[in-house]
Amino acid sequence: MLFHSWVFLLFFLTFYAVFLLFKNTRFKDPWLLVCSYVFYGWWNPLYLVLIAWSTTVDFSMVSLMARSRRRRLWLSLSVINNLALLGFFKYGAFVADNLNHLLSSVGLAYSLPHPGVLLPVGISFYVFQSLSYTIDFYRGKIEKEKSLIRYATFVSLFPQLVAGPVERAGNLLPQLRRKVTLTRQDVSDGLSLFVVGLFKKVALADYLALYVDRIYDVPEQFGGTALFFATFAFGWQIYFDFSGYTDMARGIGRLIGIRLMLNFNNPYLATGLGDFWNRWHISLSSWFKDYVYIPLGGNRKGVSATYRNMALTMVISGLWHGAAWTFVIWGALHALGRFATRELERTDLYRTRVPRLAKQILVFAFVTFTWIFFRAASLDDALLIVTRIFSDGWVDPQFPLLMLLLILSVWLYQFTMESRFKPILTAAPVRIGLAVGMILYMTLFASASTQAFIYFQF
Amino acid sequence: MNHRPDETGETFSSNAVRLSIGEWCVLLSVLVLAAFSVGGLWRRVEGFEPSRDYRIPYALSEDYWFFQRYCDSMGRANRTLVFGDSFIWGQYVPKEESLTHYLNQEAGSERFVNAGLDGAHPLAMEGLLEHYCGEMRDGEVILHLNLLWLTSPQADLQTEREFNFNHPRLVPQFSPRIPAYGEAFSGRVGVVLTRQLPIFDWIRHLQESYFGSVDLARWTLDHPYANPLRQVTLTLPASEDDLHPDAQPWSARGQGQQELPWVSLESSLQWQAFRRSVELLRARGNRVLIVPGPLNEHMLSPSNAEMYLKLREDATAWLRENGSTVILPPLLPSHLYADLSHPFSGGYALLAQEIWRQMEESPPRPAQEPARPMLAGLSGPG
Repeated sequence: MLFHSWVFLLFFLTFYAVFLLFKNTRFKDPWLLVCSYVFYGWWNPLYLVLIAWSTTVDFSMVSLMARSRRRRLWLSLSVINNLALLGFFKYGAFVADNLNHLLSSVGLAYSLPHPGVLLPVGISFYVFQSLSYTIDFYRGKIEKEKSLIRYATFVSLFPQLVAGPVERAGNLLPQLRRKVTLTRQDVSDGLSLFVVGLFKKVALADYLALYVDRIYDVPEQFGGTALFFATFAFGWQIYFDFSGYTDMARGIGRLIGIRLMLNFNNPYLATGLGDFWNRWHISLSSWFKDYVYIPLGGNRKGVSATYRNMALTMVISGLWHGAAWTFVIWGALHALGRFATRELERTDLYRTRVPRLAKQILVFAFVTFTWIFFRAASLDDALLIVTRIFSDGWVDPQFPLLMLLLILSVWLYQFTMESRFKPILTAAPVRIGLAVGMILYMTLFASASTQAFIYFQF
Repeated sequence: MNHRPDETGETFSSNAVRLSIGEWCVLLSVLVLAAFSVGGLWRRVEGFEPSRDYRIPYALSEDYWFFQRYCDSMGRANRTLVFGDSFIWGQYVPKEESLTHYLNQEAGSERFVNAGLDGAHPLAMEGLLEHYCGEMRDGEVILHLNLLWLTSPQADLQTEREFNFNHPRLVPQFSPRIPAYGEAFSGRVGVVLTRQLPIFDWIRHLQESYFGSVDLARWTLDHPYANPLRQVTLTLPASEDDLHPDAQPWSARGQGQQELPWVSLESSLQWQAFRRSVELLRARGNRVLIVPGPLNEHMLSPSNAEMYLKLREDATAWLRENGSTVILPPLLPSHLYADLSHPFSGGYALLAQEIWRQMEESPPRPAQEPARPMLAGLSGPG
């Protein structure tokens, strides 16, 4: 069920009417759980078996940890279970393909069977969320949740179930335990967030997708200029798509009295790769920092170990996004970018002499370049695109002016948000004017086709 | 006020579009008002003067906002709307040789209006009459019953194999179930909801009239440097006169006699929809005249023609039993048919003579005068 679909509107209105009745009764959590499972099962009811399994195992492991001395054992079982789920459903085909390739290259006739299973929507998100609960409990950061229903609600809460933000138990579980107090500000904030998210998705991301898909689906048919513009457009498409989802998720969260964490903070205004990852998919970046980078040693063991840990974290992050070598390369490129900008930021020249705008453009250009590997259907396609962008001459890319205008407007808006002119944007006529403009634009001009969110595949 | 932690220490967002509840209420009220009034206002801006023998251009076949506007303006003039599919539209003839042209000739006045819509099978016609002709009351309408839509389970949309058919947005979305209709649940919900909001039909009208039937987003892909505002010329596509490229008698095209797998009236979804349409029009106080066929029996094997005649007889009997006036036209000469259902100009002329004769013999229009097929207000949704 997509947020920007009519069926979701129907679902939400039904859910919300009952939620308002139940919000401070013992039926609240069961109702949230039932609706979250309906929301998730809408794609495929079989997915519910997986999420219920992951939930039950982690809840049981923490219960066992709570009354046992063999805490490490139960933690390990939880980690193994979650990673096995992820490994089988997300990476099974990738591993089998690569092993088969290896076997055939050394002349062995044997080939591993292809798992042939569908990747359950959002599995990477809820597995990580559930995993953080067991790890945080093991570390003594959170208390054990006594109610299985509440814990299941935490894992499956529908606004953020399939594409984040990847919430931590320490933030979400206490909110589920608390009495729900809905203020008028909550409702208006929820609406504001939802409308902005809907605009990003329907009016911007889906529009850009029309150009990007047309070119990236058959890159060999296009020259370097069109491929360049398609890559530029994809950089914004994925931002609008994913941050739009997050805005909508946070808006729905507000409407039910739950505050989900900020997940995007104008990432294309970042002045370094480290800064970029503090602004892009913040919930995942912090997850990797807390559960991968720091356990590996973080920056506590010298420069080379720091860079090794950084590289490992980024490559794993790349793999988290997709089971393909292109994602591994994407992660590795970001690791290189982080090394480079980290070193640059240590120099006086870069810190004090290079204008902020130049740094932002540099980071944006680098990040956009890496999106080639993220979006391309294969490594061959990615290499072809890179080659053509850097070797072909100018050919009219047929890039719609309206698209360019929209992107530049958003960029200018964000730039102003982080400048001393920000008060202009917070003035009531501007805020209301923008809201009216967004709603009218979506109604009148948005594409009629409904596209799924890019991050659902992860 | 944004991009900084609020009272709970949590950052609201990375943008400043944060409205208060009061601002939202005002904004939504204005938008709802606009959504319901834009269609009416647009009618004043966009000129539309239907010519003599006007028929809706093919390009606007799915522009139901325009169809409604057309019917409103014709009905306001107390004229008789003739509803049907391409048979009424005049598939193989110029508009000056369509059925309504000849009916007007017989009547000696501009009484009949060509309200034919290409591909409007009875399930679609039901939706058209229900949702876009709601104000047509206490008038006179002619409804063409084209039994072509009962010639096979596929034409009747009974097959479990889904396929694309005409006017899916007009057919019942949930009940009765149409096995051949493959739209997802969410899409059906969308159709039902957007029918209640006239602004969506008006937007569709803009797309159909000025943007080649695509949304603006897709249009800019094909016209990357064009200004979309300049497309809105406020000049509607002209009523078409182009002859169908295959305008020759059926027999000259090498089409032999056919054995058609007719569906029974009892099981036919199209027939049930036609019945509901008749009941709907009658419930609105309209005098409903029904013209079944005439299908091209020359194209059917004798046994198949018998099946057709039996169907037509049963349908006619039901309609008469239920108080409708049925005008049974005769079979036309073979050379006057272009295919199984569409006549050529001469065929329409003969049909018009016969329909007019039977109309003259049938009871007159309801006593209330002036008979107004629809309300005269300008506040229609579009």
